[in-house]
Amino acid sequence: MAAAAVYQLAQCITCHAWSPDHSMVALCPNNNEVHIYRSSQDKWERVHVLEKHDQIISGIDWSPRSNKIVTVSHDRNSYVWNKEASEWVPTLVILRLNRAALCVQWSPKENKFAVGSGAKTVCICYYEQENNWWVSKLIRKKHNSSVTSVAWHPNNILIATTSTDGKCRVFSTFIKGVDSRDSGTSLSGDLKFGEQVVQLDLSFSWAFGVKWSPSGNTLAYVGHNSTIYFVDDIGPSPSAQNVTFNDLPLHDVLFVSERMVIGVGFDCNPMVFTADERGIWSFFKFLDERKAATSSSKSGSQFSEAFGKLYGQSKPGISNDAVEPSRPRGGAHENCINCIVPLKKSGDRTVKRFSTSGLDGKVVIWELEN
Amino acid sequence: MANTLRLYLTCIRNTLEAAMCLQNFPCQEVERHNKPEVELKTSPELLLNPVLICRNEAEKCLIETSINSLRISIKVRQADELENILTKKFLRFLSMRAEAFQVLRRKPVQGYDISFLVTNYHCEDMQKHKLIDFIVQFMEDIDKEIGELKLSVNTRGRLVATEFLKQFM
Repeated sequence: MAAAAVYQLAQCITCHAWSPDHSMVALCPNNNEVHIYRSSQDKWERVHVLEKHDQIISGIDWSPRSNKIVTVSHDRNSYVWNKEASEWVPTLVILRLNRAALCVQWSPKENKFAVGSGAKTVCICYYEQENNWWVSKLIRKKHNSSVTSVAWHPNNILIATTSTDGKCRVFSTFIKGVDSRDSGTSLSGDLKFGEQVVQLDLSFSWAFGVKWSPSGNTLAYVGHNSTIYFVDDIGPSPSAQNVTFNDLPLHDVLFVSERMVIGVGFDCNPMVFTADERGIWSFFKFLDERKAATSSSKSGSQFSEAFGKLYGQSKPGISNDAVEPSRPRGGAHENCINCIVPLKKSGDRTVKRFSTSGLDGKVVIWELEN
Repeated sequence: MANTLRLYLTCIRNTLEAAMCLQNFPCQEVERHNKPEVELKTSPELLLNPVLICRNEAEKCLIETSINSLRISIKVRQADELENILTKKFLRFLSMRAEAFQVLRRKPVQGYDISFLVTNYHCEDMQKHKLIDFIVQFMEDIDKEIGELKLSVNTRGRLVATEFLKQFM
């Protein structure tokens, strides 16, 4: 299967998010702005530029029902953008962070969002009606390093985090006055805010990209040691599986269905992992056909030019016969993929379409046949 | 080219291929900073184990990796004093022009002749395989270049000596 559509929208994209009807995409072109593009007859037109942050934006999430955008940035701030008339109006969120914010996600009910940060904390933010602002409650002193990724359980209470200390943790985020007790399942019973449900110590290296399966029964996250971890039965006695592969490490994952996961990362090519009837996970295939592309001569970087200049005429020319030059990776993407977002209609059970973006500045839309 | 050099360079290339998985990562210690972790070494959990690749005692390559940066330090073969002085002068000449090379470090790591520092910003701007090609090509050429320089110094020395001694004939 090849990519359904490839759009070159910027030089380099750190993250992106889709509007509820998938007609617009918000992306960060590796700087302090958010660009919103709208598609019209297969052409992309930039309709809004959101400028408020003053350092690179590390996370964007667009809530599907309430149509709000939340952005977080390395400048320690977060804004919630609300569309009023034709303008996007920002509201500052008091995160109370003293380090960069790294990732953000809306909760399934969209009354809260979670921010992972370099201050080794997680902020759970909720809206306070009387003061008309977003306030944050912090989960402190649980992580030993930066929080790289957060994911909400479908029950709106539990949250999973991954950190560069290699661990994946699950917390309860019950906030009085925001959540009601009956909304949770038995799993989140009567846990207080910030209480740790489980700590998974599977990876020897940094952990990234955590996600829950649609039902919330399985948790998947990746380690920088080219391994993906699947954890069932989150609770007192979880059962874990790890799948190690031969290629470069992954950076983010996406559950397409209960039994299928797509992983993206440094290999520039999405990988598909599937579970069989007994629930055993394994690597299935690469999504993109590998092209045996020859490196084009025009991309001879400025190095060889600089190199040549310094050598002047003294050098007869670089002989290439010695060690074969390394082959460029991937097909649709040419550099590390760091973001994968589902394109799901509200009624669908499984994800049929999803999009990826990477450091090569492309947004690629993929379609699954079966 | 000698067969062992090819193996040495292939090994370095494969190690770099695996090690060059860098991402933007802000500093955990200082607010609003973003520095190569491999240079600061403030958080040990952000560093990976360094890899040392040796061809022999005199030629080795140290690859140190962190979450957002990668440092490659190279020791070039120096068989005699002349090669030693040529290497020192030549690599100093290059290090002084480090901006032109972007990934070159201004000062080599102690115990090595020349160092490269690759950060996540380089990986965003440039193609990864080209970067690796450049470093491997550099290592391949440096030996040749030193050899050529040594030859021309010797030739010139012989020429000068001959000219000088002519007057006594």
